[in-house]
Amino acid sequence: MTQPFSLHRKEFNSTMTDFTNTGLALDNTSHAAEPTDPAHDYHALNAMLNLYDANGQIQFDKDKAAERAYVTNHVAANTVAFPSTAERLQFLIDNQYYNPAVFAQYSAEFLDRFYAHVESAGFEFGTFLGAFKFYTSYALKTFDGKRYLEDFPQRCAAVALELAAGDENQAVEYADEMLAGRFQPATPTFLNLGKAQRGEPVSCFLVRIEDNMESISRGINAALQLSKRGGGVALLLSNLRELGAPIKHIENQSSGVIPVMKLLEDAFSYANQLGARQGAGAVYLSAHHPDILRFLDTKRENADEKIRIKSLALGVVIPDITFELAKRKEQMALFSPYDVERVYGKPFADIAISEHYEEMVADDRIKKTYIDARKFFTTIAELQFESGYPYIVFEDTVNRANPIEGRVTMSNLCSEILQVQEPSEYNEDLTYKHVGRDISCNLGSLNIAKAMDGGLAHTVEIAIRALTSVAEHTSINAVPSIRRANEEGHAIGLGQMNLHGFLAREGIMYGSEEGLDFTDMYFMTVAYHAYRASHKLAVEHGQAFKSFPTSDYAKPAGQGNYFDKYTDGRRSLEPRTARVRELFAKFGIAIPTVADWQALQADIIKDGIYNQNLQAVPPTGSISYINHSTSSIHPIASKIEIRKEGKIGRVYYPAAYMTNDNLEYYKDAYEIGWKAIVDTYAEATQHVDQGLSLTLFFPDTATTRDLNKAQIYAWRKGIKTLYYIRIRQQALEGTEVAGCVSCML
Amino acid sequence: MPPISIPRKPLKLIDRVSAINWNRLEDEKDLEVWDRLTGNFWLPEKVPVSNDIPSWQQMSEEEHTLTMRVFTGLTLLDTIQGTVGAVSLIPDALTPHEEAVYTNIAFMESVHAKSYSSIFSTLCSTEQIDAAFDWSEQNEFLQKKAEIVLDYYEGDNPYKRKVASTLLESFLFYSGFYLPMYFSAHAKLTNTADVIRLIIRDEAVHGYYIGYKYQKGIAQLTDAERADLQDYTYDLLNELYDNEVGYTESLYSGVGLVEDVEKFLHYNANKALMNLGYPALFPAEICDVNPAILAALSPNADENHDFFSGSGSSYVMGKAEETDDDDWDF
Repeated sequence: MTQPFSLHRKEFNSTMTDFTNTGLALDNTSHAAEPTDPAHDYHALNAMLNLYDANGQIQFDKDKAAERAYVTNHVAANTVAFPSTAERLQFLIDNQYYNPAVFAQYSAEFLDRFYAHVESAGFEFGTFLGAFKFYTSYALKTFDGKRYLEDFPQRCAAVALELAAGDENQAVEYADEMLAGRFQPATPTFLNLGKAQRGEPVSCFLVRIEDNMESISRGINAALQLSKRGGGVALLLSNLRELGAPIKHIENQSSGVIPVMKLLEDAFSYANQLGARQGAGAVYLSAHHPDILRFLDTKRENADEKIRIKSLALGVVIPDITFELAKRKEQMALFSPYDVERVYGKPFADIAISEHYEEMVADDRIKKTYIDARKFFTTIAELQFESGYPYIVFEDTVNRANPIEGRVTMSNLCSEILQVQEPSEYNEDLTYKHVGRDISCNLGSLNIAKAMDGGLAHTVEIAIRALTSVAEHTSINAVPSIRRANEEGHAIGLGQMNLHGFLAREGIMYGSEEGLDFTDMYFMTVAYHAYRASHKLAVEHGQAFKSFPTSDYAKPAGQGNYFDKYTDGRRSLEPRTARVRELFAKFGIAIPTVADWQALQADIIKDGIYNQNLQAVPPTGSISYINHSTSSIHPIASKIEIRKEGKIGRVYYPAAYMTNDNLEYYKDAYEIGWKAIVDTYAEATQHVDQGLSLTLFFPDTATTRDLNKAQIYAWRKGIKTLYYIRIRQQALEGTEVAGCVSCML
Repeated sequence: MPPISIPRKPLKLIDRVSAINWNRLEDEKDLEVWDRLTGNFWLPEKVPVSNDIPSWQQMSEEEHTLTMRVFTGLTLLDTIQGTVGAVSLIPDALTPHEEAVYTNIAFMESVHAKSYSSIFSTLCSTEQIDAAFDWSEQNEFLQKKAEIVLDYYEGDNPYKRKVASTLLESFLFYSGFYLPMYFSAHAKLTNTADVIRLIIRDEAVHGYYIGYKYQKGIAQLTDAERADLQDYTYDLLNELYDNEVGYTESLYSGVGLVEDVEKFLHYNANKALMNLGYPALFPAEICDVNPAILAALSPNADENHDFFSGSGSSYVMGKAEETDDDDWDF
């Protein structure tokens, strides 16, 4: 008899990792009474969506069966039942689930009617994932996580009641838009409103960091405080002095941006929003910052643990000059932010590098290092293969399109927020010497298909009002610079989703001439109604956003006014194709004419608009599953999408409106290719004042050169930002799972 | 307890070395697989397993014990494959490029073995880890499994080594892989499942490649020799299968998953045979694996995730290619 085999144990002595992320309010509902045989196991039924049936058909019915099994078995068995609306609300208020102030604004009689109205809508989720995600992540649960206290209509009702702030008609309007699936607030809003124990309803925060220790401390504080309250936080690192820069005039003292990134990463993993979701953060750095390559290398697969950045998202801010230098096959200068700030008297990020490039190169007071510009782009692409990062902000494109006075120096965690900021100054005890302006943005998206079905104009107005209500009822006291900018600007971000689903439903190929034409016309029409609504709000409030007088919106018509592009005849406002003209006619939606825009322009010059920023198109992850839409305005990633999220495991999701008969309209993003995606986004971009999250998709046969080509093309087409790069690797022939839809389609 | 191991014959690698020229390929498959394996390179540090701590804390004592036992079993197999198995294939390589691929396989197996440790050290206490390792040393089925495979690795027949190796890569791992896949389909330990999926992604290629080389190799043999090897393969598979059923029962009987895991064993046994070029052993009716597991198994990198979730198992190393002047013609 041989001795037993054993393993060396010394490798287990590594230090324990990160126990900080505890106390999540997970879904603790009981699965005890549920059948586990595959015919009733909703996970198994859902998984069948990813396996063909005997006839080679996708089993859509199995997913619906999974949804029904989940809702009728698991959810029903674990939901607390109440005899009446009044008793339910009383219980939820008394037990500190609902915020009493929200409900006190309405009469008991109205609440009865209101809940009867929303509950009679006969709502059912379109997919298993929609239902599963709603109940695990959004629905109110008892504090022990064991019982559900809300269904979808009841969640919509609570959100609508808080948004409407006592206005009964408005509450009904909000609830109807959400229940019909035309308007879906972003996760922080939809998750939090109406609840007593909750985070902020705002999606996104952007905070500048200046080149001093007080500002860095404030930045870390902001990361902690804002993660605790919800949403993602992005921080600007471009202003920080580089590795080896002087501190108090002594050379080689600074350790550069990497240690600050480490601190931020730890801060984010510590804070989470009552466990609802983990803190998540992004950092942006100028391409011409001397630490740029070290910054990118933190995402290398083989990076040293000391500098490796796992969960922080990275973004690079690239001005036009970088492209010009690469074109000319030249070296690019990296400028010491420390020296630049001393020479120009303002932070590095506030200098337009393209404009001052030659001047800074010639200035001996500014220390410079050089890297090969083309090599720089190759490095970016290599990192994108390995990690999906960095995001890219095309700095000059963004600032040319920005109608607001000031400079845009960064974006956010999803690269769709683009707003101006103003630096803050601090005293030694971290109090504010000057409160600058930082950014919060609350988001919500229209389901393009359902908004079109519903006539569009009214939905846009209700959505703008809902988002504005969130801005008005939010006051981020933890970060005064954000509070100030929100009070002055009421910036919001109206997004869009289900473009691919809509086009496929109507028999139009994504990225086709008709697809592009529709995107152009749709976004222009939405912009028109969004500005109309914001003008109405300015009239109602008797005030415009604070910096309106210095914005392009206030300039006289024909003299650089933002709306001149619609009124000066430089482009036709008519559809280019008959199909799109018919489509708008079919839904009874009028496309705004030059005269409409002229009237709006005049009204806005007179009264202003209430919101400093209006539109931003986010990637829409979770909410598009609940809403059964295709994400944002990009093509589907897969006919049957495999979705992995910390809280819900591995789940399969069918594209919206897809059947076994219309599969040809559901080419996925890898088949469609980056060019059609960039073209589609370029159509939309011209009508969106902020940005759009644009993910590029490549097969793993692509090289860094293909990524670079796509980036050059996007920059030339006037795209403002690029979000993730996603690489799809097909299983090596011979190793795939037989009959798997996502492997074979 | 100090580590104990059986004495093993010294392994002779190769007699002579010639410089490897990747520009003179004798078998295109070598480069294809090399590219795939190097492109798939990963380290466990990439996956934020610590995000699973809350989920781990919600799980029961029994689930903890089961998980740790399963992972110690997997660690043992990966250790064998990394330190003995893949290396023992080198002397039989038909091409120098094949040797290079085996060195990569051997290295990645060691990465796998280490990644279980990183899961352990993130989720469990030293005491729990020790208890699980003690169990692995006392579990007769696990010890037998290791013994059978090691014996063949040290035997003289190069084809039998490949058969043993393919069965290990494509069959023996899967009784263990079942559990993290099952958990992740039920929203537990999803980041851990990402690590396992990365491992599966590698093992799928390893089993396929070794099986492919086996088929190439036996093509030169006589019919009688081939028939002999086929018999041998089914015998070994049956021996391992019987042992695997015992192992499965010792692990999973407490949680009522034995039947489901066995179906999974049948499915993967057939898959291993397919890799070796042989017909399936188990009829389709007893291979109807729970679809949630089957679908979770897909080695494709097409899942979707966002920054609030784990990092996923989908990114690969990129191929660098310089842009030329035409690309910058604007």
